Amino acid sequence: MSTSVTRRSAVQALAAGAATLAVPALAQAAPVRVGYAIARTGTWTGGAQVSQEPNYLLWAEQQNQAGGLSVKGTKRPIELISYDDRSEVETCVRTYEKLMGSDKVDLVLPPWGSNANFAVAPLANRFGYPFLAPTALSKRLIEMKLPYFFLLLQQPAPMTTALVEMLKANGAKSAALIYVDDLFGLENYAALKVALQGSGISLVEDKSYPPGVKDLSPVLRSMKDKNPDAFIGFTYPPDTILASKQAKEVGFNPKFFYASVGTAFQLYKNVMTPAGAEGVLGMGSWNAKTSAGAKAYFDAHTKKFGGKEPDRWASGHCWAGLEILTAAVAKHGLDRKAIRDYVANTTHETIIGKIRFDGSENVATPGTVSQWQNGEFEVVWPKTVATAALNPAKPAWK
Amino acid sequence: MSAGAWLELIASGLITGGIYALVALGLNLQYGLMRILNIAHGEFLMVGAYLTWMAQTSFGLHPLAMVPVSFALLMALGLVVHRLCFKRLAATSPDLDVFEARGLMVAFGLMFLVQNAVSWIWGGDLRGYDFATAPVHIGNAQFAGNKLIVFALALLFALALIVLLRQTLYGKGVRALMQSPVGAQLVGIDTERLHPLMFGLGLGLSGVAGCLLSMAYTISPAMGEPYTVTALIVITLGGFGSMSGALAGGLLLGVIEALGMHFSNPSLKALLSYSVFIAVLLLRPKGLFAK
Amino acid sequence: MNERQLFVRDALVLFGLAGWALALPAYASEFVVSLALTCLMYVALSSSWALFCGTTRYLSLATSAFFGIGAYAGALALERLPWLAAIALGAGLATVVAVVMGAAVLHLRGTYFAVLTFGMTELIRHAITYFEKSVTGTVGRVLMVVPERDTIYLTVLALAVLAVATSIVVRRTRFGLALQGIGADEQRAQTLGVNTRLIKTAGFALTAAFAGAVGAAMSVRWTYIDPPTVFNPFIGFQTVLIALIGGALTLWGPLIAAIVFSVLAETLRLQAPQVYLMALGLLLILSVLYLPGGLASIRADTAKGWWRDIRALYEEKRYEWSGEKARDKRRERERRLA
Repeated sequence: MSTSVTRRSAVQALAAGAATLAVPALAQAAPVRVGYAIARTGTWTGGAQVSQEPNYLLWAEQQNQAGGLSVKGTKRPIELISYDDRSEVETCVRTYEKLMGSDKVDLVLPPWGSNANFAVAPLANRFGYPFLAPTALSKRLIEMKLPYFFLLLQQPAPMTTALVEMLKANGAKSAALIYVDDLFGLENYAALKVALQGSGISLVEDKSYPPGVKDLSPVLRSMKDKNPDAFIGFTYPPDTILASKQAKEVGFNPKFFYASVGTAFQLYKNVMTPAGAEGVLGMGSWNAKTSAGAKAYFDAHTKKFGGKEPDRWASGHCWAGLEILTAAVAKHGLDRKAIRDYVANTTHETIIGKIRFDGSENVATPGTVSQWQNGEFEVVWPKTVATAALNPAKPAWK
Repeated sequence: MSAGAWLELIASGLITGGIYALVALGLNLQYGLMRILNIAHGEFLMVGAYLTWMAQTSFGLHPLAMVPVSFALLMALGLVVHRLCFKRLAATSPDLDVFEARGLMVAFGLMFLVQNAVSWIWGGDLRGYDFATAPVHIGNAQFAGNKLIVFALALLFALALIVLLRQTLYGKGVRALMQSPVGAQLVGIDTERLHPLMFGLGLGLSGVAGCLLSMAYTISPAMGEPYTVTALIVITLGGFGSMSGALAGGLLLGVIEALGMHFSNPSLKALLSYSVFIAVLLLRPKGLFAK
Repeated sequence: MNERQLFVRDALVLFGLAGWALALPAYASEFVVSLALTCLMYVALSSSWALFCGTTRYLSLATSAFFGIGAYAGALALERLPWLAAIALGAGLATVVAVVMGAAVLHLRGTYFAVLTFGMTELIRHAITYFEKSVTGTVGRVLMVVPERDTIYLTVLALAVLAVATSIVVRRTRFGLALQGIGADEQRAQTLGVNTRLIKTAGFALTAAFAGAVGAAMSVRWTYIDPPTVFNPFIGFQTVLIALIGGALTLWGPLIAAIVFSVLAETLRLQAPQVYLMALGLLLILSVLYLPGGLASIRADTAKGWWRDIRALYEEKRYEWSGEKARDKRRERERRLA
């Protein structure tokens, strides 16, 4: 895995490259100015630099290589105007105020994470810029009913329902749960409790933990003692890795091991080794086998970023969002209200399948569960979108 | 819960506690001797971890080989930092209170400087490597190999430091200085030499702790702060300046946390740690083991 | 200049700055206004911090705790109470907590106090997280009722002006003199009849009130608040850094430093964000070592003094390296033996 310095300089060089690509086309038409703030430093960097920013850069490069973004037929080059939001909500808010209020860019792309998206969603509404957010997850955001804000990711209810259905169909009778102490963990926990009602699966242990926890082994040890069929973790990437490693340490080998965020990342395979990751379940909704478009995207991403693969969840949704935006601009130009109406009222065909919005929520993509099999994170549930069959008994940790 | 499980739980608490003790020892040396509350301690620990990681992934060096190397490098860094920052403070501060306050502020600045320098150089991603992760079975219980190694080394270093301070002449000089700075100087103990040396030793220990931690946990630029806080809690529990107190305090904290996590949940553990910290600071500021 | 003239000068400067800041939203872009907002927030926070902690030398790291309490109080109250009442509630709640905290910790000094206030901040954060989670089943608050941007700006501006004005006034009253006395020598102040306990609690509560009010005002900008965001220790750290580098004992120091750092943060963020934080740390170290009075204490002869120091160092080194020092030592020894 390349070090971050080389990766960062590669990304910067590529961004400069994308910008210079716009220059020759400048002779033809004025550029389409697309603005965004993203985490390049701070706590959100890990997620943002895997699931989001690379996709923005790839998109701009691909469009410009084809002559530019089609604006109602006319091709105009994309000019990306981006800033580091330092993983700070205030900085994020200020940057978007600048982009939409002062700089008056043509389009905006969203920042990473639920917290930032909560803060900029009202702004999107105020300035009338449609936002298609691939890394925001919260029932509350949907309840705010903001017409210019769209969430691409599946929300807790469908994801937990899918998980419970899968467990039930494979004969699991008991589960142990840990969840992180913040909005993500709590919403998923609440949704899981609802989904478990009447499923015949009992929750033998549920413990919450603060983000940044250093040691989960006492919890995992006591879970091991209770011997549940399934382990469910609503965890973030650092905790997902910690839980996996420590489960191996204490010899906790349930039949189903599910850790929500982080399992979809290439990082997981690298840290746990492909053999170690075998059989682990998590939140994922696509991979290169999902569609021809998905494979093309996967290959283009890996090629451009020197072997860095997109993650098997949010990255796909991010690219799908960009596809939707591209189609909208091709049809309605840069009329943001028209774009917004198009996004809200059409069923879109994307690399991860159909996407349709009911209010702010994407209701067409079903809740899914994926599993690591032979070095690839395959979608195993529901069968309608599965890329491989579920392996119902996870091998012991290697 | 079965007896074997209890044993595992307490033992895992002790292992974590051993690491806490090692981290706290360096801080204790600096505060107990020089009244420098180095809240950047965790950041230097993080530097040690990053150096070990870099050596392992880029040059293929065995992590255990990095233990003495991190120690030496960070000790040298400690000498430099003391010379540049704290020496002048000692000369220009009118009294001990002001020196302490200013020392705290300088350490504050160091914390920002070091953490962000590392973040700038190596980026903010999580890093890690695999080392001795195969589980080791002891009786009915099962532990990760790397954790056992880390525990053994942490204990070794802690005991070595305690012996150093008790038996050697230098050590006795240090303890004399801790008891009475003026008196010690009157009998000819060289403060000029000992202070930088002990500061360097303190940082060297944190470097070793970082090196050991990198073997068992993932590292990131932000990993230092929680360890600084834990070190503070440990030296408060054990009493400022007492080495064996820090060792006992660290082990105790580890076990309390493990038990706490078992009976309640990890979220409560954080609450528990801070409550214990504040309670001890308010009710028994000289530490749990003071006479 | 006598006392009265100084007072008039201070008041006029404050009036002028306030007027300029007031006019800003009318002609400046959104971005500049939001930059000014952050700047004003830190002016309020650091001026009120310096008012108590600068003079008495009780370094409090609890600013984040009060900010967060104010933010939560404001978020909860906004649904039912009007804007100003919510701000007042934030300030009030923070003050109550400060009085309770003060009763427990204000008898300790120096590093104990700093470390304890930090510990308490984290304790409060974890306690609120746990409480929210167990009792209300959620962990953050969504702010549905959000006032206009200009309202927020004016409120924070008013708080900043109030903080500086309080500073101006307090240092001329007995309360301010008592604070300075405690900072100089607490025991002596006590023997001279100052009720140190009361004065300290009042000062601490004052900083808390401002932090709480600012927290309540700023939280609405983020639409969604949760404990890690509003109890972020960085807010407290930055406040302390700005006050110390600006000159914690001075009136205008925190204000100057707040402006400088807000601008610096914004410019550096675009190029190299970590560099900003590194610069902050380095500046703090340098200022503690070489400029204990802070930025505001820089005068014409400060630079001259540094130049003199550098020249003296140069002379000393030249003396040493050219061998003169060794020769002089030898001559001295010979003379003694002879």
